[in-house]
Amino acid sequence: MKNMDIVKLIDVTKCTACRGCQVACKQWNELPALRTHNFGSYQNPPDLQWNTWTLIRFQEYVDKDGKFSWLFRKDGCMHCTDAACVKVCPSGSLYHTEFGTVGVHRDRCIGCKACVTACPFDIPRYDAKSDKVSKCDLCYTRLLGDQKPACVLSCPTGALTLGDRDTMVKKAYKRVAELGGNANVYGDKFVGGTHVLYVLQEPPAVYDELPEHPKMPATVLWWKNFFKPFTLIGMGGVAGAAALHYLIKGPHEVHENKEGGE
Amino acid sequence: MVKVTDATERIAHWILAGSCLFCLISGLGLMFHAWEIIPTILGGYYATKWLHIFSGVIFGMSLAYAYYMWKKDCEFEPDDMGWIMQGGGYLWPTDKLPPVYKYNAGQKAFFWCIVIFGALIVLSGLGMWFSTALPVVAARWAYMLHAMSAFVIGSFFVVHLYLGTIGNPGTVQAMFTGKCSRAWCQTHCPRWLEDHDKNQVA
Repeated sequence: MKNMDIVKLIDVTKCTACRGCQVACKQWNELPALRTHNFGSYQNPPDLQWNTWTLIRFQEYVDKDGKFSWLFRKDGCMHCTDAACVKVCPSGSLYHTEFGTVGVHRDRCIGCKACVTACPFDIPRYDAKSDKVSKCDLCYTRLLGDQKPACVLSCPTGALTLGDRDTMVKKAYKRVAELGGNANVYGDKFVGGTHVLYVLQEPPAVYDELPEHPKMPATVLWWKNFFKPFTLIGMGGVAGAAALHYLIKGPHEVHENKEGGE
Repeated sequence: MVKVTDATERIAHWILAGSCLFCLISGLGLMFHAWEIIPTILGGYYATKWLHIFSGVIFGMSLAYAYYMWKKDCEFEPDDMGWIMQGGGYLWPTDKLPPVYKYNAGQKAFFWCIVIFGALIVLSGLGMWFSTALPVVAARWAYMLHAMSAFVIGSFFVVHLYLGTIGNPGTVQAMFTGKCSRAWCQTHCPRWLEDHDKNQVA
């Protein structure tokens, strides 16, 4: 897998919600479980947590023809090519790996939480106790060792597969053609293409917590592409103008015995 | 020599200026990855985050004090427009500069700039500190407004630094000893000097 542009394909139509991936993720990444509360769903924990990087979402869905279906979606980091979290991270904790995924240098995280609000998919989670943010790194150390991520390895139905980008995009579209109906590929058309792709049976808007049109927030673009450089341009420009003023016009001298304002 | 500031004003000024400058430098260190030297000197990125926050809290409190202390001196008056139209006498020769009371229109503009954008940078900073308690849209705006305020304050700060030191010889003493020459007062705050002299006699 060395030097490959890696994509994980999540085919929700093959997912049985066994949650093997959720457990394998916790096991490999040594993430503790916390006590949760039953809120009337098999979905547990109720949401992503600092210690739960991937989660099967259970959703009861009735379409407009009254047809009921139980939708399962594995939620987690989408590993954007144009990642807002990497753009806002001040300490270099979040970074793009050689696989195109978004890695985490946990020791460098300063808990500023900028990534938590910047992420268009609402993925990073902050833990107040360690004052750090965590999220899926697509098992970076396993990829380095030419191993599949723990979730992919654990998946018994083939809903999770991993491969190079071109192969997986082709595979996704082939599967969508087989499925027909509303089936669609989610992830290749925004934020520079994500390194996690979905094959969805229903339109994206149907799924809980799945943005229909995810994009880099405009506030992040203004912050990082405009105000950030202009802080230096502004301060440097003013300093340059002051120096020129001093050299050309000279300082504003006080004249003895002068009455009134100058 | 004429006493132009009291000790309270000078101490408040330096707490405000010191915390502002520290925030500016540590903030630039957090903004530009290439300037990792700044967080390194300050004890790493994590220490820099907390130093930036604490310094910001001090800045916020001293800003509130400075606002109540100087707001009356910095109220705009009709003559300020004339001063601005003449570029304060800094840009071209002019003899039409209206006589100034305590602070000229440029100084007043700087004061209000720091009050408005200082309040904005403190409030947005609090929003960033507690961003997970805010709706995500509000938190995103906080990060952007913080950067915008840093741009405005940083740029205006350089103007203040130049005009308060080498740009106006004799001025910097106002913030050290608090005493400036009589000629300086006649040049920079003639109407205030008249009142000052009357009070001295009385």
